[in-house]
Amino acid sequence: MMDRMTAASSDPPVTDSEGAAARGPDLTDLLRRSARGDEEAFAGLYDATSRRVYGLVLRIVRDPAMSEEVTQEVYLDVWRTSARFDAGRGTALSWLMTIAHRAAVDRVRSSEASRRRDDAHASATQEVDFDATAEAAHTSIEAARVRKALDTLTEAQRSAVELAYLGGYTHTEVARLLDLPLGTAKTRIRDGLIRLRDTLGVTA
Amino acid sequence: MSPDLHHLSGAYAVDALDTDERSAFEQHLSLCSACQSDVHELTEAAHALAALTEAAPPASLRTAVLAGIGQVRPLPPLVVDDAAQPVGGDASTAPTHDEPEPVAGEGAAVARHAKVVPLFRRRTTWIAAAAAAAVLAVGGVGVDAWTSQEPELTAVQEVQQAPDSSTVTSSRGELSAELTYSRELGRSAISMTGVPPAPDGMTYQLWYVGTDEVARSAGFIEPDDGRGQSVLEGDLSRAAAVGVTVEPAGGSDAPTTEPIVVLALG
Repeated sequence: MMDRMTAASSDPPVTDSEGAAARGPDLTDLLRRSARGDEEAFAGLYDATSRRVYGLVLRIVRDPAMSEEVTQEVYLDVWRTSARFDAGRGTALSWLMTIAHRAAVDRVRSSEASRRRDDAHASATQEVDFDATAEAAHTSIEAARVRKALDTLTEAQRSAVELAYLGGYTHTEVARLLDLPLGTAKTRIRDGLIRLRDTLGVTA
Repeated sequence: MSPDLHHLSGAYAVDALDTDERSAFEQHLSLCSACQSDVHELTEAAHALAALTEAAPPASLRTAVLAGIGQVRPLPPLVVDDAAQPVGGDASTAPTHDEPEPVAGEGAAVARHAKVVPLFRRRTTWIAAAAAAAVLAVGGVGVDAWTSQEPELTAVQEVQQAPDSSTVTSSRGELSAELTYSRELGRSAISMTGVPPAPDGMTYQLWYVGTDEVARSAGFIEPDDGRGQSVLEGDLSRAAAVGVTVEPAGGSDAPTTEPIVVLALG
């Protein structure tokens, strides 16, 4: 809820839907210290999250050089706005990933970037997907949990969610790609996310 | 609020709205606690997918990032002051906010509030309720935008930061309502807590009650978990009070039930 009091606590949340945040360092604390200009804390934040941020950006943007650029912008933005993080509105990881996802999506939606992505797509897609998938499979219990949760979605929901989140497509584009009537994709995305939320046990 | 907008929460959570939809939804989001909660949860769920695509960035990126932050000053935290006060120096630099257009799907509600329907037998009810309600002026409560990276002036903030902004509250038992309004802008925003769930097929409708005792529909409020917030539709200028009634879903042309809240405007 909006008014939950976790913001007042300096302890990490006991149950963290993101899993990684609960196992690793306290990201909320690192973020708070970063807001006060603590560069060491920020380095800790980077080390704890950069695989996830860079991996997502790379998945959406495809072009490795451009992905590095976007990732760097994301972290500078996180550093700059760290004081604006509100723990009452979600986990630190979720906040950070929201910035990263938005940045990656904004980048690919500029026409120049789209062209470059398309060029890079053919050569990089297979490799990137395979590497990321293979790596995740043996390094992350969480990945296994997420896969299992994804299996509870209908095929239609799953495709829509993946194209939107991992592909960076708008719901209009998703509708086109899946040959759905306009307006249907956003419902599929929402229904899919609700299923995912319920399976993963995410609570606000 | 429009169900069309509610259904954008999933697409918003995965950044799948186009630019226009995004800003329309963000405006709605700043006022709709149900959508805030939705977006909040669905965003967390969506980001779980990023566990599937982890990849190690090159070491040079770490060096570049850490070198980069040395040259960037972290922004100070947002300090939300008593918004009933004039905002002084910030007012000139605050982003301007276009007059909000009625968003798609709310056309029906817009058409409704244009109708002016006399209150007839409800007249005495409003007056009695207004007299009975504990009405007091208090300072406004700051509400910042959901995504506060680059703070934008939400419709609520716009009202709160108006130089002539005032707030009235009313409570009865658990139920509490707070209305912030600006005569100058001709707009107001209501926030309510402790609201019981509306009965099936019913909705909470907002009314501007004029000095002529006529109630004009001012849209709806959809509390979630007892809490809700809404910017009223229509023009405040001739209103003497704001009321909330329970009406059949889709709203009524005139109040058909006793108001649960009446706030008299100063």
